[in-house]
Amino acid sequence: MLVIENIVTAYGKIEALRGVSMEAQEGRITCLLGPNGAGKTTLMYTVAGILHARRGSVRLQGQELVGKPSSEIVRRGLALVPENRLTFPEVSVRENLIAGAYLRLTRDKAGVAEDLERQLVRFPRLRERINQDAGTLSGGEQQMLAVARALMARPRILLMDEPSLGLAPLVVEEIFRTIHELNAEGVTVLLVEQNAHMALQIAHHFYLLEQGRITFSGVPGALQEDEVIHRAYLGGSGASSH
Amino acid sequence: MSDYLIGVLSNIGMIAFLALSAYVLLVTGSISFGQQAYFAISAYGSGIATAMWGWPLWLGMLWGAALAGLAAALVAVPTARLHGLYFAVATLAFAEMVRLLLQMLTWQIDVDGTLIGPMGSEGFREIRYIYAHDISAVQFMLLIYGLLGLVVGGLTLMERTRLGLALRMIGEDEIPAEALGVNVAACKIFAAALSGIIAGIGGALYAHLITYIEPALFNVMLGVHGLAYGLIGGLGTAVGPLLGVVLDIGFLESVRAFAGYRMIVFGGLVALLLIVRPRGLLDEVTVHRIVRRLIRSDHVAH
Repeated sequence: MLVIENIVTAYGKIEALRGVSMEAQEGRITCLLGPNGAGKTTLMYTVAGILHARRGSVRLQGQELVGKPSSEIVRRGLALVPENRLTFPEVSVRENLIAGAYLRLTRDKAGVAEDLERQLVRFPRLRERINQDAGTLSGGEQQMLAVARALMARPRILLMDEPSLGLAPLVVEEIFRTIHELNAEGVTVLLVEQNAHMALQIAHHFYLLEQGRITFSGVPGALQEDEVIHRAYLGGSGASSH
Repeated sequence: MSDYLIGVLSNIGMIAFLALSAYVLLVTGSISFGQQAYFAISAYGSGIATAMWGWPLWLGMLWGAALAGLAAALVAVPTARLHGLYFAVATLAFAEMVRLLLQMLTWQIDVDGTLIGPMGSEGFREIRYIYAHDISAVQFMLLIYGLLGLVVGGLTLMERTRLGLALRMIGEDEIPAEALGVNVAACKIFAAALSGIIAGIGGALYAHLITYIEPALFNVMLGVHGLAYGLIGGLGTAVGPLLGVVLDIGFLESVRAFAGYRMIVFGGLVALLLIVRPRGLLDEVTVHRIVRRLIRSDHVAH
């Protein structure tokens, strides 16, 4: 569904992504693991059109996304839940959610209201806090809000950048349950994680990104998994010298 | 109404445009120390149009505000990607550049036997349109407040639209705004042009009421005040910056007891509010609360 080929993204002269190729198959959960600084968030921003690739191609259902503005990418059915949640803190929960449907706000009021209701059914906690500013929510609630906001765009593929970051274990489990449910409903998921143990429990396929390159690709449960997890946390292949 | 009161009210109204122009940028998350430049560009532009070319006031003001809006949009193109301190310094540098250019601008023409036009740092005299056309101080004050009402009303309406939501989203965090499909760069250039036009309306009114302008009037302190009014008054609504202007000009400047200490009190007030209420007196939370209360009392009344 989403095919990434030889993507190079640079900050000035420093290439953060040095030719990344990977794929997220329709209806599946694909997980991208990797240590800090590997380029995971850079890849997510590049795919979502926030950063611009220097070279390479990203195709969503055959259509090229590189060079397209983010509005076009969202319209084609890709939504990003950014790292650190990044809700709009001084804006109410309701407006945060409505902002998720930004591109069809004026054309499809009834549809937006319907989707809003759907998200509030899915995340009852958000209904309780609907008039509160997003900044007053707990970390877990903000993550729920960020997911719900992304779903307001009616994505076919959801990119989630480290949804478990800084959350308590129970909350992390809830988030992963949500991801699993969404996938069961037919949403394709590309999940970036450092919490490899949790991620590999729900992933169908995973990749390891190290220093701007994909260094491993496989299915969970394979023999190399321990080493991959080690490298996902620590980086470098030195971890295998036991 | 005494002349003094009319003078104070007119001043409040004119400076309010500058405060609103800084507010528009503050809402989108940009702190500009350079809004005085657009105030100045329009003051000169409209003054030249009416005093030298003999244009009617409305057309001169339109021209001045359009020039200011265009200048602001042009500045926004290279600065849209700057944030925080970098944006603040860039806008400050631009405003100083404009001031220095105005100091060099000498261009006088003969109008009915007198030489009229900007004379470098000596300024630009005889912008006499409202006196030549017998517009009274009260009438001009009504013009100021009429236009101010239009701008505040327009901004309030805009805040309820999709564009208003987009500007606020950008002000909160550009990355998720971009991720949701907002064209951040275009929105920021639009906001800058709008802020230039609003400052320009104030500048044009100012030139015609005072009749004499000089580059030194448009120094960085004017911009700092314009910015501070929004920070004091609050960023929750367009009424916030007006409250800031009223507090400073209406209260600090006009109450004799503060004479000579105004800047000290003002500076202290800014520092205090930034600590106690970082988003101003009328911040988003307060505005939500007031709006909700108004809606509730409306329900009770019916």
